[in-house]
Amino acid sequence: MDSALPPGFESLDPYVDQWVLPDSRARHAKRLQLPYAEIETFYHAMLPLAPRILEYLSQFSLGDLTAAQENLLKLMLSLAEIGPAVEWYGQGEVIDGFAADKFALVEQVPDCAAQR
Amino acid sequence: MSAQPTPANLTLRYPELGTGPVPTDVYHEPDYYARELEAIFRRAWLCMGRVEQISEPGQFFVKSIETFEMSILVVRGKDDEIRAFHNVCQHRGNHLELKKSGQCQVFRCPFHGWAYALDGKLAGVPDAEAFYDLDRNAKALPPVHVDIWEGFIFINLAEQPATTLTEFLGQQGQDLVGYPFHVGTQTFEYEGRVKCNWKCMVDSFCETYHVPVLHANSVTDTLAGPDNPFGRVIDVRLKGPHRTISVVGNMSYQPNPVQGLAFQHAPAPSITSGSVDESTVLPRGLNETRADNWSIDVTVFFPNWIIVIGSGMYFTHQMWPVGPNEVIWQMRGFMRPAENAAQRFGQENSMVELRDAVLEDGNTLERIQRSLKQGLIKEFVFHDHELALRHQYHTVVNWVAQFESASA
Repeated sequence: MDSALPPGFESLDPYVDQWVLPDSRARHAKRLQLPYAEIETFYHAMLPLAPRILEYLSQFSLGDLTAAQENLLKLMLSLAEIGPAVEWYGQGEVIDGFAADKFALVEQVPDCAAQR
Repeated sequence: MSAQPTPANLTLRYPELGTGPVPTDVYHEPDYYARELEAIFRRAWLCMGRVEQISEPGQFFVKSIETFEMSILVVRGKDDEIRAFHNVCQHRGNHLELKKSGQCQVFRCPFHGWAYALDGKLAGVPDAEAFYDLDRNAKALPPVHVDIWEGFIFINLAEQPATTLTEFLGQQGQDLVGYPFHVGTQTFEYEGRVKCNWKCMVDSFCETYHVPVLHANSVTDTLAGPDNPFGRVIDVRLKGPHRTISVVGNMSYQPNPVQGLAFQHAPAPSITSGSVDESTVLPRGLNETRADNWSIDVTVFFPNWIIVIGSGMYFTHQMWPVGPNEVIWQMRGFMRPAENAAQRFGQENSMVELRDAVLEDGNTLERIQRSLKQGLIKEFVFHDHELALRHQYHTVVNWVAQFESASA
């Protein structure tokens, strides 16, 4: 089967279904919905590859990515979403956090569109 | 530049504010709330948005002011002028524009199709001949006073504002002129309702005494750090009704793994990073004491608009009271554009860390409000470095008293 990710990053294919998501709102919802163990698994799968992924992505401009490159960036954006869950809280939700559904993201930065 | 010890007795610089406790009735009583709306929210200049949101003629946005159940239409005209109107069709009172933003040549009411030009003039009435003596000039959209400071669009709901915007913003406004607000083109916004008084929410962003405790899991190590165990500020500066606190940054902070990668791949330092972009030329009023261990300034433009400014990005909070014990909270982030695809990761981290950190504040605010309503906290005692809170109390009380004595 062809990889959904650029050459060299095929090992992350198992995470594409769960973690390549439409936008910031969907990523936050995913973090709150999943059991924490799955968040941690994803974190530890991504972290060793993350420096190389960022080096790779830094060669390209937003608005100019292939579908595979967009998928790879979206995996990184999911890593950004769950980073504080692992590094700050040790759980999906903010500790004693205000209910996230009462503080809605009403405007977001597009994931892959060109910026100026 | 120097790493400054956190100063003592900031409060004594402002002897008119005293050092004693302040009564808490103004933070929850319905009668006082009603007086605040007239004395403050109908008279102060209120921020609506930025000029970049409507950079071309015909572009508009609509902002709800739920405090007054009001809808304000802000539009750039063919003559490039920015105008604000009550978003109310003058035929029967329906809201004229229902979209939050867009671009058009003419506004058309979705009720009977009355049309208005970008300058607010009534431009078209279907089947006009069936009206009796219709005075089109008298049926223009009701204008709202509007003015601009550093690209931020403000309105004033008074029939005749007591001061110009420039006078209102005063020294605080002048001291931030020149910050590159316009490069923060990548924006996000959160909105929610919190069951607390609007002033309590303003206060929650105006002291860092709580940072080492309430934010122990998140930003304590960046915005306070081991050298600053009680979360003291660098400085508090009071300028008319407005106020600024300068917040410490822990320059020896060692980021977490994912966080560290995000800091490396951000277009500019994140608000939560505790670090600075040395290439940003700071206006006089930002890190005014020029401390080396500075991270961000929190400036409150009275009454309800806060800008949190770092050298690399900024964000705003706006609080719209909808009762003595409830507030609509809008938080808007402004980030620089990504120079490459990897920097989109840094941007996302900036947004997520900021959101998680402020989610830590919400429940505490609702618990405080319940205690106030129950009469269990009759006075607030303020720490020296909670000076900005003391200042808000005095400013509000003075505005209400002065307005009421002038209109008595």
